[in-house]
Amino acid sequence: MKSIRMKIMLLGLLTLISVDQVSAFCGFYVAKGDLKLFNKTSQVIIVRDGEHTVITMSSDYQGDAKDFAMVVPVPEVLKESDIRVVQQYIFDKFDAFTTPRLVEYWDENPCNERVYSEMSAAPATGMAKRSMAFDIREEDKDDGVTIEAKYTVGEYDILILSATESSGLKHWLTANDYKIPSGAEEVLQPYITDGMKFFVVKVNLEKQKSLGVQTLRPLQIQFNSSRFMLPIRLGMANSDGGAQDMIVYAFTRKGRVETANYRTTKLPTDREIPEFVMSEGLFANFYRDMYGKAWANEGKNNVMLEYAWDESSQQSMHCDPCPTPPLTFAEVREAGVWWVEPDQYNGSYFGDLFITRLHVRYDRAHFPQDLMFLNTPDQSNFQGRYVVRHAATGSFDCAEGKRYKADLRMRHQKELQELAALTGWEVSKWSSYIGAASMPDPIIPEIPSLSDTGLPHLSSCPTCPIGSTMPMPRINKAGFLILPKTNAVDGDTMTDESTVAITPTGLINEKESLAVSEAFLQAGLAEAPKPLMSKRMWLLSIAGLMFIGGIIVRVAGRKPTAKSAANSQV
Amino acid sequence: MNTSTASPKAASISLAQISQWFLKDARHFQILALSLFLTYGILSLGWNTQLSRIATIFATCLLTQAFWIKWSGAPWHSLKSAMISSLGLCLLLKTNLLSTAIIAGILTISSKFIIQYDRKHIFNPVNFGIIATIMLTGDAWVSPGQWGSSFTTLFFVGAAGLMVLLKCGRIDISLAFIVSFFGLEFVRSVLWLGWPIDHFGHMVTNGALLLFTFFMITDPMTTPNHAKARIAWAVIVGIITFGLNHIFILNSGAPIWALFIISPLTLVFDRFFNAQKFAWL
Repeated sequence: MKSIRMKIMLLGLLTLISVDQVSAFCGFYVAKGDLKLFNKTSQVIIVRDGEHTVITMSSDYQGDAKDFAMVVPVPEVLKESDIRVVQQYIFDKFDAFTTPRLVEYWDENPCNERVYSEMSAAPATGMAKRSMAFDIREEDKDDGVTIEAKYTVGEYDILILSATESSGLKHWLTANDYKIPSGAEEVLQPYITDGMKFFVVKVNLEKQKSLGVQTLRPLQIQFNSSRFMLPIRLGMANSDGGAQDMIVYAFTRKGRVETANYRTTKLPTDREIPEFVMSEGLFANFYRDMYGKAWANEGKNNVMLEYAWDESSQQSMHCDPCPTPPLTFAEVREAGVWWVEPDQYNGSYFGDLFITRLHVRYDRAHFPQDLMFLNTPDQSNFQGRYVVRHAATGSFDCAEGKRYKADLRMRHQKELQELAALTGWEVSKWSSYIGAASMPDPIIPEIPSLSDTGLPHLSSCPTCPIGSTMPMPRINKAGFLILPKTNAVDGDTMTDESTVAITPTGLINEKESLAVSEAFLQAGLAEAPKPLMSKRMWLLSIAGLMFIGGIIVRVAGRKPTAKSAANSQV
Repeated sequence: MNTSTASPKAASISLAQISQWFLKDARHFQILALSLFLTYGILSLGWNTQLSRIATIFATCLLTQAFWIKWSGAPWHSLKSAMISSLGLCLLLKTNLLSTAIIAGILTISSKFIIQYDRKHIFNPVNFGIIATIMLTGDAWVSPGQWGSSFTTLFFVGAAGLMVLLKCGRIDISLAFIVSFFGLEFVRSVLWLGWPIDHFGHMVTNGALLLFTFFMITDPMTTPNHAKARIAWAVIVGIITFGLNHIFILNSGAPIWALFIISPLTLVFDRFFNAQKFAWL
């Protein structure tokens, strides 16, 4: 009687925030001139196993490229081989894959069995696109600050600085015509004293032109560090007093990642919300406002878990429901996951992999410390999932139909209350929804062709029956990406066509791209320390020795005199 | 709360008698305070704690304790200690598996009866239970961030802790730990690195750390009997915690590991400083 057809609606984060935003990394931007910059949303991928860490930072910077500059504290002087630019599409893919999703169900008319037709399938979605003009300025010489290294990587000029005094670093940046955000100096000193280096980035416009890249591509760095953390304090320097958002995609071999020094709370999930949220194209606003309300309710000092899923190759369900095809070997390798092995037949991979998506909205008042992470053994899955149930259509003359209509009113009322509770919206303007027996079906619009999109070609589908073609997504009137649900079948069915990534820079040959990733990661891993024992084993050994030592001291010493305490109790 | 262990008085029990009974044993305060923390965590902080896990931990701990009481002839009022251990595990140890919760309960309680010297157990049972479960099962963890950091937490955990500690006379341990560990942290983060003061404030108001400071490290059964020895011992725990945080770079459970490592030292301290062994009643 209930649902027989389900579709997935998804809204990419980039689409959600594509208007009126500037960007942030975990460092800060320093602007030349008087250009007012403020950070809004940044995306970071952290891949970590043992002490080896690969961090990829994606900017949604929208100012003039010649004014772009970024400073990120790093634990060591990075070599040129430890820095590279990667393709933006992996962020788009991870965002689309892990973003909160809307699921549709259709009620069946209890008086009249409805016949469903298959939804048409077509490729598609539009990702946020950017184009920027670039310019370049010469650097001045350093002033009391040591330039540990100087590289040009892709379209970026990169310096690794070390400093002894924050005033020296501040002076150097000012002398080189950078505008220091107010408040930056207070947090520069702790990093300097702690021995951190500074990864300073500008855009080399000539290089950028010669490369033919239109956007600021994400930067990827790798290093070894016993600290599993993200320095966010510098990024608050130019937050303009307001909170800024960051999405962290963490890849580990096993288990969720949570913050060790802030509360990790869950996004409200599995809620039934009114149909008009979909039909009026409100899901983007819904996600934004629901996040804002949940964040405020938790005290504004929490980190929100938005997605956690065991993506290991032995898992049959890589997502459920799947807003995009599952992650491919090429995508996770590009992100820096070095330990998985390619599956030659379907573009997938072999090995353990766990993805966690954390959403942080931070400001100076509520986040006094950098984000410290913890890789837990928690293998349980989590996703932000919201359900729209379409009312049945037709006449409801039978007894069951009348009951259905009464139930429907109650349900709609509950959905409105839920919506108000989740988002804080004033729902009285939708009060007619309570009496609405049914909503019109969404209209299927013209679909953009694949070449118009920034998405990689969709080449794999783990839940498709063998031999079938993969169901393709479509965009509905509300602008949502919709995938018809297929019957889940264990075992993978893949097409054998090669994956071609369509990126802002044009077609990238997958083999070449993979070879570059491979060489980069192997070079970084070559220097990763191989500890004799894990930290825990060390501690256990020390405790064991202490235990034996304590017993020896007691046995070797004189007999305890406090016999009066013989009535020991436990 | 725990009427089964109430003193067997006459049938007519007045309010005064109940309060007298309650005040007699510091463990009653402890049970009350820890229960409130657990309720706060579940209702207000939204911990993902299934009731089945809590029930499993309680059942396992109490049954294991009952088994050992029968075996070793310990007094039945020690079931209160098992309740405290259960609450400690519920508050600090996270796991998704009931089997792991059972293992944790058995290890926690049994450690008291198996790992002892001169009829005094060596490890704080919850401390041992957490470390042993993490090491043996690999699917349990400590989540220091789950409490958040706020001065409200500092106030309530501190106040509740002080009440218990004043009752059982172990306030010296908490103070010595605070002076050494918090002092070292202050010197490092504020004086040396130059972080603003709220960087330090965020650390010292962490709920898990406060719970450790006022409720775990102060366990009178596993700390040195002599007052001077206790202070020296707590200072060492503070120094080791600091070292694990910043030299060993342990993001999770540094104080718990520090206490675990240092617990055998209690034997040595008791060897050189003679004092009356603690008894709850």
